[in-house]
Amino acid sequence: MTLDLARSSLNGWQVVTITGQIDSKTVSLLRDFLAKEVKIDEPLALELSGVPFMSSAGLRTMLTLERQTKSHGVDLALLGLRSEIADTMKVTGFYQYFTNYESASSLPSKSEPST
Amino acid sequence: MIERIDGLPTNIINGYKVRPGKPLPFGVSHVPNGLNFSAYTSAGTGCTLVLFSRGVLEPFAEIEFPKSYRIGDVFCMIVFDLDYEDLEYGYRIDGPFQPEAGHRFNKECILMDPYTKLVSGRDVWGEEPDWNAQIYHYRSRVSFDDFDWEDDSPLEFPPEDLLIYEAHVRGFTKSASAKVAHPGTYAGLAEKIPYLKRLGINAIELMPIFEFDEFENSRIHPETGEKLYNYWGYSTLGFFAPKAAYAATGRHGMQVDELKQLVKNLHSNGIEVILDVVFNHTAEGNENGPTLSFKGLDNKTYYMLTPEGYYFNFSGTGNTLNCNNPIVRSLVLDCLRYWASEYHIDGFRFDLASILGRDPLGYPLSNPPLLESLAFDPILSACKLIAEAWDAGGLYQVGSFPAFGRWSEWNGKYRDCLRKFLKGDAAQVGELAQRVQGSPDLYQSSGRTPATSINFITCHDGFTLADLTSFNEKHNSSNGEDNRDGGNDNHSWNCGAEGWTDNAGILALRQKQMMNAFALLLTSRGVPMFVMGDEFGRSQQGNNNAYCLDSSLSWVDWLQLKANHQLFDFVTSLIAFRKSHPCLRVNKFDTTITTIGLPSSSFHGTSAWSPDWSQESRQLAWMFCLDGIGTGNSDVDLVYVIANMAPSTSWFSCPELPNGLRWCVAFNTGDPAGPVLKHEATVDKHGLLVGERSVIIMTA
Repeated sequence: MTLDLARSSLNGWQVVTITGQIDSKTVSLLRDFLAKEVKIDEPLALELSGVPFMSSAGLRTMLTLERQTKSHGVDLALLGLRSEIADTMKVTGFYQYFTNYESASSLPSKSEPST
Repeated sequence: MIERIDGLPTNIINGYKVRPGKPLPFGVSHVPNGLNFSAYTSAGTGCTLVLFSRGVLEPFAEIEFPKSYRIGDVFCMIVFDLDYEDLEYGYRIDGPFQPEAGHRFNKECILMDPYTKLVSGRDVWGEEPDWNAQIYHYRSRVSFDDFDWEDDSPLEFPPEDLLIYEAHVRGFTKSASAKVAHPGTYAGLAEKIPYLKRLGINAIELMPIFEFDEFENSRIHPETGEKLYNYWGYSTLGFFAPKAAYAATGRHGMQVDELKQLVKNLHSNGIEVILDVVFNHTAEGNENGPTLSFKGLDNKTYYMLTPEGYYFNFSGTGNTLNCNNPIVRSLVLDCLRYWASEYHIDGFRFDLASILGRDPLGYPLSNPPLLESLAFDPILSACKLIAEAWDAGGLYQVGSFPAFGRWSEWNGKYRDCLRKFLKGDAAQVGELAQRVQGSPDLYQSSGRTPATSINFITCHDGFTLADLTSFNEKHNSSNGEDNRDGGNDNHSWNCGAEGWTDNAGILALRQKQMMNAFALLLTSRGVPMFVMGDEFGRSQQGNNNAYCLDSSLSWVDWLQLKANHQLFDFVTSLIAFRKSHPCLRVNKFDTTITTIGLPSSSFHGTSAWSPDWSQESRQLAWMFCLDGIGTGNSDVDLVYVIANMAPSTSWFSCPELPNGLRWCVAFNTGDPAGPVLKHEATVDKHGLLVGERSVIIMTA
């Protein structure tokens, strides 16, 4: 089981593009990647359109990440979340903690001063 | 950070890193780098942990507990580096197969952990397993108990303020007419919370949600040939595990989170959650039933056995859990503590609770240790404890259930009396006076209060309210038992025709009788409860025991809400009325005179202060009065209820009121213009006419 992970930058966001299933077998890859490649005190967006399934372990990793970014006062955004996963997140209570965007092009710019 | 030494293995067995475990807690628990497995057996001689990958037929490993991994009667072992999200596990227990001595060990059987918090194998309702290939059907799994409750906690409403709505998770929203995204699930129920708020109830009592097997029923529908189910679920497999197939996310094993989210949502909308729990028996049946868990772990501990080793059957289902054995007592206590603390459950209703007061040989105990333990448990101290105070072995304890100052009771006597009075039976008025006060004849002498009495006219078991007014006899042929099942003492009345009719007069009378029932229920002291759909006239076509029917017959038909909006409006108005009149919710038996010179409760007939207690009387009025409420224009709350179940109109005089107060009619089920009066009508000081089979509710 593999997970493809890539980091890029866009309008002041760190964007991590994830491709593959996030479950107990792959979640450690994601955790390790985030620990190594991402600055936890800068806005972070996870591009998830290539993620067909996220297990309980995956959702918990997302929530832990949300708590970490929140504690640093920075935004965490989910991009391209598939409807099946969004639905699971809604009925289990995870969804409410996240800001969702259709794609990276919808992300508000973090380079501009807030008004 | 210093690494804990117990996070490191001491042995390798079959290639798996292990070390001696901890006996408590029972079941499986997370420890550094591994999982701690703990299983109790007093007479088993050996234990093997069997490990599966999720959904795979054959195990990937079997690890026998070394002798040194046993402490007392508990096998315990830590296994490292397991993928616990993908893991399913069970046990094989070695020991004697000597039924006459109570032992039924069989090492061939893989047993479900009785403490498992998550069960797989029946993840999607009605999805049949491969009966021939499957060697282990109900699989223990490891749960995540890390739900973020934020600031949620149990609501702890005073018991006298409760309005309980009994519901079946699947049946509540399974019909397409429910128009929810996830029919028949916890999530579907959550989508209906706005409806429950509109109705006004503040507690929902969920029929069994502990894991059970819907395929347990072997009967078939006699007309369609379709397989019948165990739809109600009164046959527990896993006491700590929520029914996976009730979760929209059950196929992903996320039922724990989905149910917790439902509870959280209900709480944030002011609705308590009460679980209907079944501790009187298990799904393993008698000596002819399967060995799934308890039988193979320690049969003699978990079940009440005859001296010959057969199963006592006080539950009517084959076996009886040995609840006052200290090990079983601990299991029950651990279970309820878990649900109260991990799921924030507000209360429990105990199915056939009288069994919980029997000793291992079945004799009723005067001071049952289990009931006492539950009553005084520090974690359960704010939970409602509600007994179905009888069992199938003939023990009937309504009014005498060992309460320890904590237990309330489903009041079966309230149900029977109200039904008989409503249909116009003679000789009911005297008992009715007791019932509407909260049954002081049953509870006052032992120091209990009106809220001890869970008042109900209908529940899941028996006719719905619509059927109570539409059928004289049960019609259970669909259950595949030639109409033998289900009770015959329904005290029902079809109002002139059995079942469906287009006779307008009969239909109008049925509608009025349903309103009469709600009027009496919601103006009685004690705690009112009714079953889902009664508020708009749900019918089961005369089936009074729909335990096996997973079909439109037992699902709520939400189109009926529109069809009978009059009844729904009546019930919501009555619930609002009950909430605004504290004199209906007084939680003490009090006949003292209030500051305005009227007693707290009093009874009347066609003449005020002169109730007719005769055998032939079918009329009773009562007045509840509460002073010192300190709200509104008056310091006094007054409600007067006139119930005329005679087949003729009568003139009723009303008690005179002091201080310029006047009676006003709020509800009149006999008013052709409608039962809910838009503007409360002032009553002539001499009294008023009350229609036949009608209830009038007044306030001052």
